[in-house]
Amino acid sequence: MYRLLRTETQLIEAAQAGSADAFADLVRRYRDGLLRFLLTRCASYADAEDALQDTLINAYRYIRSYDPRWRFSTWLYRIAIRNAANGRSPDMPVVHELRDEESDPMLQCIADSETENLWLSARRLLKDEVFSAMWLRYAEDMSVNDISIALDRSASWTKVNLMRGRRALDAELNGRNAENEAYG
Amino acid sequence: MDKLAKQLRRDADRIDVSVSEELDHRIAASLRSVSPLDDSPLAVPPQRPALFWWASSLTGIAAAAAVILIVNSSQPEPAAAPGPAAIAAVVPDIDWKSETAVFTGQLQQELDALQSDLKKAEEKVKEDIGL
Repeated sequence: MYRLLRTETQLIEAAQAGSADAFADLVRRYRDGLLRFLLTRCASYADAEDALQDTLINAYRYIRSYDPRWRFSTWLYRIAIRNAANGRSPDMPVVHELRDEESDPMLQCIADSETENLWLSARRLLKDEVFSAMWLRYAEDMSVNDISIALDRSASWTKVNLMRGRRALDAELNGRNAENEAYG
Repeated sequence: MDKLAKQLRRDADRIDVSVSEELDHRIAASLRSVSPLDDSPLAVPPQRPALFWWASSLTGIAAAAAVILIVNSSQPEPAAAPGPAAIAAVVPDIDWKSETAVFTGQLQQELDALQSDLKKAEEKVKEDIGL
């Protein structure tokens, strides 16, 4: 029956009624994006996959508390961010300290390019929360309001930290361009 | 979209990730093993009729009145003040045998001596000045 359902609202209602298949169908469109985001926050590919699984299970478990005033993707990312933060054990290496390609899952998934991926610089330069805010804004096209909900921060905090993140990455990008011109 | 935003978008797309078939099966199996939690008792607190508040207020007042009555009725009555006869019976009768003390005798003697000295001194002064 769930296959006849088309809109997100209908799928959410079916999932709230207890249909795991409807929920699986509902989150199918968000899974790759969530995994990509979690990959930037976890120390290994396996951790990111586990975090995705936990996120989706928690989301299904608490689907009845979902507030329809929020975008569903915002709600999912909020759970994912909490999972990524809670799942990090004290002895786990800090993500931005990973340098070698073998251990860094994000590096493994980046297509070959002449220039360094700017998100690697972002991870190196920015704090976790600021990185997440930048990711949600520029990789997921979320509004400031949705980002503040996902991060459980105020809109003003989000705006200020997006500006700080941009400034840091702008300086990085300009530095690269100047370097290229000097060698070019 | 500015240059930085474009670059960030492009670089995000370059992170090539997708959920594998194995992970897909794992997630589907996990989802079937759980069911949504019912949050309705938390979301909607139970509504009580207005009569409930009146009934609870009246019960409270009645209970307070009952407690005051019980406390007052169980208190012992205060003892009556003892009369003069009772005091006389209790207080022992003491036989006071003492004489009235005379405190002014010595002072009077001292005063007389001082007046005598003063008179002698006056007489001596008169002799000295030839009166």
